[in-house]
Amino acid sequence: MRYASGSLLRLESTSNKKATETEQNASKGSVTPYFPQTKWPLIADRRPCKNAYILTTMKPQQVQYTARAEQHLKGTIDMESIKKRTSARWKQASIPYLFTMPWIIGFLAFTLGPLIFSLIISFYEWPVIGQKTFIGLANYKEMFTSDPLFWTSLTVTLKFAALFVPLNIIVALLLAMLLNQNVKGSGIFRTAFYLPSVISGVALAMIWAWVFDGEYGILNYILSVFGIEGPKWLISTTWAPVAMVIASLWGQGTMMLIFLAGLKNIPKDMYEASSIDGAGKWKQFTRITLPMLSPTILFNLITTIIAAFQQLTLALVMTGGGPTNSTYFYAMYMYENAFKYSKMGYSSANAWFMFAIVLALTMLVFKSSSAWVYYEGEMKHGKR
Amino acid sequence: MNNKRSMITVLLLLIAVTVSACGGGTSNQGSEGAKDAEKEKVLRFATWDTGDSLKVQQDIAKLFEQQHPGVKVQIEPYADGFDQKLAASFGAGNPPDVMLMWDFPTYYTNLEPLDSFITKDASLKLDDIYESLFHYVKVDGQTYGLPSGFTSRAIYYNKKMFDDAGVPYPKDGWTWDDFRAAAKKLSNPAKKQYGFGVRTINDPYDMQGFVWSNGGSFVSKDGKEIEGYMNSPETAQSIQLFGDMLKDGSATLAGGKNQLSGDDVFKAGKIAMWESGVWPLESFKAAKVDFGTVEMPAFTGKPVKGIIALSAISVAKQSKQKDLAWEFTKFFISNEAIKMRSNADLPIRKSIVKEMGFDQNPLYIPFYHMLERSDDTPSFLLNSNWKLVNRYLSTAIDSVMLGENAQDVLNAAVKDAKKYVEK
Repeated sequence: MRYASGSLLRLESTSNKKATETEQNASKGSVTPYFPQTKWPLIADRRPCKNAYILTTMKPQQVQYTARAEQHLKGTIDMESIKKRTSARWKQASIPYLFTMPWIIGFLAFTLGPLIFSLIISFYEWPVIGQKTFIGLANYKEMFTSDPLFWTSLTVTLKFAALFVPLNIIVALLLAMLLNQNVKGSGIFRTAFYLPSVISGVALAMIWAWVFDGEYGILNYILSVFGIEGPKWLISTTWAPVAMVIASLWGQGTMMLIFLAGLKNIPKDMYEASSIDGAGKWKQFTRITLPMLSPTILFNLITTIIAAFQQLTLALVMTGGGPTNSTYFYAMYMYENAFKYSKMGYSSANAWFMFAIVLALTMLVFKSSSAWVYYEGEMKHGKR
Repeated sequence: MNNKRSMITVLLLLIAVTVSACGGGTSNQGSEGAKDAEKEKVLRFATWDTGDSLKVQQDIAKLFEQQHPGVKVQIEPYADGFDQKLAASFGAGNPPDVMLMWDFPTYYTNLEPLDSFITKDASLKLDDIYESLFHYVKVDGQTYGLPSGFTSRAIYYNKKMFDDAGVPYPKDGWTWDDFRAAAKKLSNPAKKQYGFGVRTINDPYDMQGFVWSNGGSFVSKDGKEIEGYMNSPETAQSIQLFGDMLKDGSATLAGGKNQLSGDDVFKAGKIAMWESGVWPLESFKAAKVDFGTVEMPAFTGKPVKGIIALSAISVAKQSKQKDLAWEFTKFFISNEAIKMRSNADLPIRKSIVKEMGFDQNPLYIPFYHMLERSDDTPSFLLNSNWKLVNRYLSTAIDSVMLGENAQDVLNAAVKDAKKYVEK
């Protein structure tokens, strides 16, 4: 940039001279200016003076244009070839997009389109059967001021997230560390622990609904073997949310796998070196494993937070939001507003508010990550 | 160049295929329908039924096709997604011609008023159908559907458990005090055996019978007021009754989403009495439970009232073949079709009840007695926003079953839900 502007300065200083010359050329009838109002003729008329300094300070493409302008001045330029070349270039550039077009159209039609539509519809009242009425921000206002269920569901979700997110990370990390041991048959365990994530959410919820059955469920049977009288899990306002957390924890094989991959990536020599220095297992865990794993933890933390806020299937299948709204997750509240009570506009407003919450939380986590996430090869100022 | 052009064509084709695949269902029907227009008329019929009931409806459709050559009845079983799919089809302007219906306040603007058809058609013999059923198919005095089946609610009791406890079988005309006394004697918490099963998730709709029997109601007669109705002492008392029974151990909570249902608990002989519609009756028979049915108990000195769950059949306003749709509607409630459906729906025609001996069968008599006691209008027909009120009401009722005080939670529910009825 520095060079370019320098050259421009010099160009401009001679602009008067150029103007007269162009006029002269025009009057001669030999030359038509290529881009009369641009600077190209300026360069063109600089060329004959063969100022080496200017040429060297020009960017390559400027040199090219200069050459073309010269051609033009000589009247040898072939406009057709330029047109051909640009259209060929455009074609070449467009081919990848044509190949990805089915997905681009899919994205526009089935993701971005509905997304924008839901944003627009959140300013309307739309009972599906019937007319859309523009009501401005009324949906958002109702949400915050006169809908107790909004706050109920939000509280339920936040409580669930507060319990589920840390537990999920801890359990997944523990499992991954166990699987990372060099034990015979660890492949079998890996498969066993990952298997639940392959099962569809509804089937998983059905299984857990049976496990948690107060009278006839297997969980309470096992507890009774140890002399504990289990609670009526899903029909108790205290235990139903806990049951949700337990059932959610079961399906986190993916997260475990990601942790496992992260663990395998930690160089063995670090542990060896530290054990020579006399570090114990715990010290190794806190000083090597955790820091080396922190980018993985960051990723898992963010996906878990998002998953916690989107939790719907379990509540829908296992409790229907009950008993007495104790598992009425925000996603379920949103779902019911849309599909049970036909308040599409209101539900869209709910959805966008959830988006805002998740976005805010994710940004918060990202912001905080500089304090606790360590990337290999990264130098921290003032440290190391 | 040629290569590129053909490549682009292929791509465009691909896109066309992907995009149209999503709308495939309807567009295919459309084109087929157009092709066969001269040959065959297709009548779309949406039902919520599945399993055996669906099979019976398919048989009815086949019979209709035989009697009306050139007509094909296309059954669309929406099952659990009935309301969503129906609402979506109305929203998209592509509804089925004929459909099962119960929620008239939500859909009546999209349904064909049938009064003109009814007056033209004497062969219907509407006076043969129980009058109180027509309460449920009218909005603002217009008839938007014909009753096709119903159930009232009664008490099932396990005769063996009554015998074992030395309690005499209940008789019609009994009171809630009798009921509670019997339940207490039939309970043995040590053996996990209880006199009565209370639902974990209650539909306030089903509770209206109790509330009316105690002289209460959820909403004023004009549908515009819930303060002093939904939280009246009578209403609260009729719901508190079950909370109290749970507290004193004469009843247990049964069912819940995907939990062992109360029907199954009754079959297992763990509860002696169970309140329900006619639906589980066949399965109780199949499970060889020795059981009887009896009318609902009365609150002392007050008349017993019942609530009906009705299914009706309606014609869509947007249907392009209303006459044919009407023919099918008529056929669906003809003697022939009612008889075919009698395993799932209680017959709605007096003549058939007599013919098939339902009025002689002690298991069914209480249901027809309860039908005669069901002349109140349920709240969802009185206020078009009732669904939104119901959301709070059902939570309140469920929390009573978990130990809350009925009067308190109903007061709170009224406070939260009031704004919806006043709209």
